[in-house]
Amino acid sequence: MDFKDYYSALGVERTASEDEIRKAYRKLARKYHPDVSKEPDAETRMRDVNEAWDVLGSKEKRAAYDALAERVRSGRSAGPDFGGSGAGGGFQPPPGWDEGFEFHRGAGHAGPADHADFSDFFSSVFGAAERRNAARQKYRAKGDDHHAAIEVPLEFALQGGEREITLRAMELNDQGEPEFVTRTLRVNIPRAVRPGQYIRIAGQGLPGHGGEPAGDLYLEVRIAPHPLYRVEGQDLSMDLPVTPSEAALGAEVEVPLPGGGTGAVRVPPNARAGLKLRLKGRGLGGDLYLVLAIALPPADSDAARSAYEQLAKATAGFDPRRQLAAAGAFA
Amino acid sequence: MSTRTTTVTITHCTTVGPADPLAALQLAHACGAPIEWVAELAEAGILQPQALRLEDWRFDGSDLRRALNARRLQRDFDVGLDAAALILDLQQEVRRLKALLG
Repeated sequence: MDFKDYYSALGVERTASEDEIRKAYRKLARKYHPDVSKEPDAETRMRDVNEAWDVLGSKEKRAAYDALAERVRSGRSAGPDFGGSGAGGGFQPPPGWDEGFEFHRGAGHAGPADHADFSDFFSSVFGAAERRNAARQKYRAKGDDHHAAIEVPLEFALQGGEREITLRAMELNDQGEPEFVTRTLRVNIPRAVRPGQYIRIAGQGLPGHGGEPAGDLYLEVRIAPHPLYRVEGQDLSMDLPVTPSEAALGAEVEVPLPGGGTGAVRVPPNARAGLKLRLKGRGLGGDLYLVLAIALPPADSDAARSAYEQLAKATAGFDPRRQLAAAGAFA
Repeated sequence: MSTRTTTVTITHCTTVGPADPLAALQLAHACGAPIEWVAELAEAGILQPQALRLEDWRFDGSDLRRALNARRLQRDFDVGLDAAALILDLQQEVRRLKALLG
């Protein structure tokens, strides 16, 4: 475990004011927002930024963190290698380092449930301190709900089935010492789950305080991108390439089905590109749409070229740019 | 620090939706917020519960998503709930359009 440099995570000086820290945080929160960020690792970066803000944005945690950093610095000849991986990989908070500091639940800006996603460094330093404080104050409350995401392949989502998910949390053992608990949950995912749905598992959230029950776990379903099918709510859609003659004359074509196997589909005569054919009940609880795309055979042989020439002669009255002329583009 | 490993087989789980909706208190708890906050979201139009009394309110997965996103906007940018409502609507529109692009 490395000592985390929260100041560099937010890109601020150690002497930064509360206001400077808040501004730096907001800027990064915008930069790594999942809807606008172009960074591939936006989610991980945002977690680091949130963690740094949770500590530096709270007066009491920042003071404790600064004191710990000072203690670690003075206790080592070379000093901690902040932010680097060369800190020996073995940082452990000195026992009793947090005496004299009070950490209130929710004193930071993130909800306590967010803490479960934070680094091992955060958990062992602040998570342990928070839980000890709560135990000392004989505080009683149901555990917080926890959120995690589960990504499954589309084929799995269609059928449902058992899936394992591993969660890591910091808990106090019977002796009141902090320890990491790695829990592997075997969850039976219902069939036809859709992206953005939440699976709720009662009692698998964060542990309760003072004998109260644990919170619930919410798993947000994500479906891995599929090379053929796109998910649109309950429906699936797929591009279906057809030749010009299939589109013009109509045809029966074989298509792969999302659940496996193939099905025969009738393309009607005079079909246009973009036409949607519906296969009822073949989606994620909804339907499968086949979106026609017209693929041109290459004119790479005398026979093919002559066939295109004959087609041009036979359809001489057809002007694909009539609409452009009507719109005055050639005026 | 020591590490303990456990494996739990989950025999019962539900999909948050019309068949297994969340009550207002459950939604609040899922967002780490007090129940009054859920009432504020409804007032701002972020949630649109159908029932009159708060204890009869029921929410599905898309409500949970909106509530979690609203909480995040409040946490990250300190926005008011009216601004959050607008941002959430725009966010939803962007996601819809992005999905159409494939």
